[in-house]
Amino acid sequence: MTRRVFVCRCEDVTLDEIDHAIARELTTIEEIKRYTGLGTGPCQGRECMVPLARLLCERGLAEPATVQPFTARPPTEPVTFAALASAQPPYTGAADDDKDPEAAR
Amino acid sequence: MSKPRPLLELASPLPADEAVTLEFDGAPIPARAGEPVSAALLRAGVLATTRSPKYRRPRGPYCLRGECGSCQVRIAGQPNLRACTALARDRLAITPQNRWGPRGLDPTGLIDQVFRGGIDHHHLVVRPRIANAVMQKVARTMTGFGTLPDPATSAAAEARQVVHTPTVLVVGAGAAGRRAARHLEAAGVDVLCVDRRDRATLEVAAPGPLPAELLRAGVFAAYPHEGLWTAASDPLEAPLELHTIHPRAVLLATGARDPLLPLANNDLPGVVSARGLHLLLTRSGSRPAVPVVVIGEGDEAAILGEALGAAAVVGPEEVVEIHGGDAVDGVTLKGGRRIACGLVALAPIPAPTHELAAQAGITLRFDGHGFAATSDERGRAIVDPAMPQPWTLWVAGDLRGYMGPTAAAADGEAVAAALLESLEGAR
Amino acid sequence: MSTSMGSPRAPLPERVDIAIIGGGIMGLGLAHNLAALGQRSVAVIERSYLVSGASGRNGGGLRMQWGDAGNVALMMESIEICRGLAQELGINLWFRQGGYLFVARSEASEARLHRNAELHREVGAPTRLLSPTEAQAIVPHLDPGPIRAATYNPEDGVVFPWPFVWGYAARAIDRGVVVRTHTEIVDLLPEARGFTLVCASGERVSAERVVNATGAWSNQINRRLGIDFPNRPHRHEILSSEPLRPFLDPLVVDLDSGLYFSQSTRGELVTGISLPDVDGYDDDSLALHSSLRFLAVLAARLTALMPITRSLKVLRQWTGPYDVSPDGDAIVGPTPGHPDLIQLCGFTGHGFMMAPAATRLVARWLVRGEAHPMLQRWDPARFKGAPTSRREDMIIG
Repeated sequence: MTRRVFVCRCEDVTLDEIDHAIARELTTIEEIKRYTGLGTGPCQGRECMVPLARLLCERGLAEPATVQPFTARPPTEPVTFAALASAQPPYTGAADDDKDPEAAR
Repeated sequence: MSKPRPLLELASPLPADEAVTLEFDGAPIPARAGEPVSAALLRAGVLATTRSPKYRRPRGPYCLRGECGSCQVRIAGQPNLRACTALARDRLAITPQNRWGPRGLDPTGLIDQVFRGGIDHHHLVVRPRIANAVMQKVARTMTGFGTLPDPATSAAAEARQVVHTPTVLVVGAGAAGRRAARHLEAAGVDVLCVDRRDRATLEVAAPGPLPAELLRAGVFAAYPHEGLWTAASDPLEAPLELHTIHPRAVLLATGARDPLLPLANNDLPGVVSARGLHLLLTRSGSRPAVPVVVIGEGDEAAILGEALGAAAVVGPEEVVEIHGGDAVDGVTLKGGRRIACGLVALAPIPAPTHELAAQAGITLRFDGHGFAATSDERGRAIVDPAMPQPWTLWVAGDLRGYMGPTAAAADGEAVAAALLESLEGAR
Repeated sequence: MSTSMGSPRAPLPERVDIAIIGGGIMGLGLAHNLAALGQRSVAVIERSYLVSGASGRNGGGLRMQWGDAGNVALMMESIEICRGLAQELGINLWFRQGGYLFVARSEASEARLHRNAELHREVGAPTRLLSPTEAQAIVPHLDPGPIRAATYNPEDGVVFPWPFVWGYAARAIDRGVVVRTHTEIVDLLPEARGFTLVCASGERVSAERVVNATGAWSNQINRRLGIDFPNRPHRHEILSSEPLRPFLDPLVVDLDSGLYFSQSTRGELVTGISLPDVDGYDDDSLALHSSLRFLAVLAARLTALMPITRSLKVLRQWTGPYDVSPDGDAIVGPTPGHPDLIQLCGFTGHGFMMAPAATRLVARWLVRGEAHPMLQRWDPARFKGAPTSRREDMIIG
């Protein structure tokens, strides 16, 4: 096994890769997330957010008083399309089959 | 392949009426009915059940309590389900994911060796165009962890919506949430407490009795613009349920979870969460069958080390490297000392589970160990004024910054009392 | 190749020929094409980080299957550019030509597909009309029952949007363009020639011409000069599923509901749907919140069309703004009353796929004065007279 220090195991993002992103002047959590893919896997940032925030604070690239996590997008727990499809109006009804297709902008 | 070495063993023999048999990759594995599938797999010596997406390194369970994704396997015909939250039942079929070639001889494992310096996927084989096309084809075939669900299972999955209109929604039935919910229930408040964990896990996860109104479902979002919270039943339950919840007040007690400690080879199969492992052992009546090394921060590392019967407890700053291949086999410390082990249990200071608080518009503050929800001294959350607030928001326990179960329980009680007072004031 | 892809610390020149406001696909694509034509006195100023706006939030589809000849030809050009763009920019774009499959469930939609297939043949796009069974052969898990007809174009495809933006930025920087991130423009001061841009930091940049490439945020820039174009921001939601091994080659569009879905290189199903009466924006906040309604409407349609998706799980939902113009056509060219302010907006949710061709033709016009039929059609002055009757009807989402 090659020696690697992982910050995000879901997307295989190592400390070296964070350093490469920083070398490209991507120094905010949102930018590093997008460039490395960190936090976009099955755990959606649960594991990697804090080590990254700590790292940026240690490097002087973020201030502990102002650093924020990346946007916490739903869903935070797995949910199937089947469960979602069971939602009744007012959550369905906008896209019923009979809708005039021209109205579907 | 050598014979798998059990990582855990039963603390006492399994009563016949609790014994079931899982089908792991076609082979039978004994289990206790209702225990987390991960416990049975670890007792059978099954550790690595998937590979990582880029370096194709072997991966097994880490958090052991439904937070991370590395124990995801195919269960009952459905891809990407966590073995640590799936509950054992007779003949439940479990299959590893994301493997290539014959068992134990996955050639994609070589990628980790070949790309020692790392893979920059943005700039990998961009030119010439023909090579780029080949690279993209190869990359695409290796992507994606699991495969499509079994068509019949998927099409037949039944689902229903359940609407709730409690006065108070308590999210989380850990130390703080259960105490808060019970306090509110005792005062006659219509309270709904929701937690994704099964009852038996909750019983050993934190001290104190559970509330009467306890819904097992994972709260997956706050939608303030629509005035509701949503939760979903476990994907293995039937029928599937979508819960839409319209509360007047919400008490968030989502607790804290383990961040990753950035150590060399912190991803090897057998590197697990110390708190998760302790919970799993208690929950499944098991004990470690191999030496355990705890790498931890703070006062609780030593306590966890003792609870796990650890061979050694060290701080992360002492560690040079974790060793192993398909399974961890040792830890090297500064000064060259190497400790042999079969499990490495990480005990970082837990980080608040802040995501739902953030969705609800609660202001977060980095405390050095995580993003804590902010509140006044009574527990009323401080919220972004731009976010609609169709409810009042309260926060309790580790979500306000890790405090541990005893303090969290007391905090749950105190915040519930303040919430109750505000409800009575509004009446 | 430069390692920089824009920086909050990149020194801003006092004077440039062209200042571009907005570091999205339009602004950076234009900067790249300007620099390639030798115009290197260019600064791109982005308020936040690259890919923070719609360029970082879209589904990454590129298709020739449009409803009129101009757009079909433009997209044929865009797709042709994309074939070699990764090599030109030096970054992987994950462009995969798995085709677009449009399905029609109503008589009216079926008629549209027939009309489109005819039009595409005339323009030279390889679109084929398919029976429901043929559609099912391309996407085996489709329920062919309600499908009346389908069209398929094998050269349409999907990309991973973010590296486009980074690649355009890096290549432009290589050639001398300045890309400045995390810098907000708080004022535009008209000068005898061009404008002086005032940044929130207090820095000033004078430019002979200024390009407004801020998409859904373009009204906020224009209003500083008292200009009001009829384009309006519109919330569009999208989601991705858990990652799975490849099972879906084309991007599928259900014409009757505006549902679309494709599988990304990472294996995630990326999908969105039209929510016709979605709450728009009544202020400038462009709040990008998500909704359960979107999940529910989408899930109902998706699981009806592809029953196997019932057990799939949603991984992540997010929202981006469409920059919607009333006739569905972009707003590109000199601003009436302010000829040195060039509009490059109004792409109505399809700017990403049009950007490779659109930014090239706009660069050719700016540098060489070269005409292009789309420039006439996109002329910002068109809103002055009577409203046009033509409206592109293949806008999805």
